[in-house]
Amino acid sequence: MDMTAPAPPVGLLGSPLPRVDPPMDGPIVAVDSVWKLFAMGEEVVHAVVDVSFTSDPGEFLCLMGPSGSGKSTVLHLLGGLDRPTKGDISIAGTSTAKLTESQFSSLRRSTIGFIFQSYNLIPFLSAVENVELPLTFEAVDRQSVRQRAVELLELVGLGHRLHHRPSRMSGGEQQRTAIARALIGSPRLILADEPTANLDHKSGTTIIELLHDLCGRLGVGVVASTHDPKVAERAHRVVRMADGRIVDGD
Amino acid sequence: MIHSLYRAVAYGAMAAWRRRRLLTLPVITVATGAFLVVLVVALMPAVRRQGEALGSGDSVGRATLAIAVVVLLVGAFEVAIAATRSINQRSAEIGVLSTFGVPPRCTLGALLVEPVATAAAGAVIGAIVGGLFGLGAPAVGMIDDSVQAGDVVVGIILAVGVSVVAAIAASAVPTVRAVRRPPLASLSSS
Repeated sequence: MDMTAPAPPVGLLGSPLPRVDPPMDGPIVAVDSVWKLFAMGEEVVHAVVDVSFTSDPGEFLCLMGPSGSGKSTVLHLLGGLDRPTKGDISIAGTSTAKLTESQFSSLRRSTIGFIFQSYNLIPFLSAVENVELPLTFEAVDRQSVRQRAVELLELVGLGHRLHHRPSRMSGGEQQRTAIARALIGSPRLILADEPTANLDHKSGTTIIELLHDLCGRLGVGVVASTHDPKVAERAHRVVRMADGRIVDGD
Repeated sequence: MIHSLYRAVAYGAMAAWRRRRLLTLPVITVATGAFLVVLVVALMPAVRRQGEALGSGDSVGRATLAIAVVVLLVGAFEVAIAATRSINQRSAEIGVLSTFGVPPRCTLGALLVEPVATAAAGAVIGAIVGGLFGLGAPAVGMIDDSVQAGDVVVGIILAVGVSVVAAIAASAVPTVRAVRRPPLASLSSS
């Protein structure tokens, strides 16, 4: 697979907020024999069954499968939004099995960016304020954060929408704003849950090209769940899932 | 930590200001409660004196006190309802903040600003109007005796203080509960 060599992530877009972590040699994600079981009444649902895979920095990995295949659950487990019943997940070399909620929260803050299917932008904030949101409570220089947020919105082609509220933006523009928000903390890993599901064909293509471009230009690892073959076409690697299991591509 | 809490309060104040149209009803309710509290407190001595003249000073005093307590309880209940409504409206926001690793204490601080600001704004408006009514009551013949400015001031301080404390007490439980929810639960309920 033709994969652009990831650029060093330090000094993203000439931002004055350099990343402090050194570039990684190992995988950004390592999933080792992970199971997730849910109890529904007396029945036990096997949402994820013995899933193992790795993803490297700068790689665009696509989890593909139909609804109920377990791909979103895997993303939630990667982000610590849910915990595995069994097995271990390492993010940027850190085993998450024994992390407390607070420790996982710190890991998310420093390492992971999220993109949601329904964007989840805050309605009373402008685009640039939404992008700044993850750093709003941090002890960092506000002007630098604003400058970086503007740069990221320009990167995703929204330099002309800085002060627009989500209600005045199209779905594609909202998702691009969400991508900029996911990048504001200089994450090493972006988790995207069905990022094109609510978008028309043209906007969806733009989003996928953008995610693909980010991997190459910024060295960010992207793990995206989708059932859209067009997304899979642009991924560096596709992991196919069905009934909670990996059926191809691990 | 102090800095992040300061940022949380600043964010919460900005959010409350931008969501002010949604807060109109709770502000009006709290203002009504504060108005009545100030009026009751300001007029109570004069009403009691009139009651004593009629031979029922104690019962009139107890009745006015009961009215004040009921008004305060209604105000606190309304603030609790408004806080719960606000938490439900901001569920996705709570989930997003948690997902991006914002510490729960910051989210809690940011969310608590809204009910406190709502209660304070409503209480100040209602207390001032209540104070003016109290001071003007003898002039329009509502009451025969004069109303002391000191009683009005006590009423205003009591109304604002109790409204803010009631707002914190009433909104703390739903807010803490919302912040403690797993991010997935907050995101999926939005």
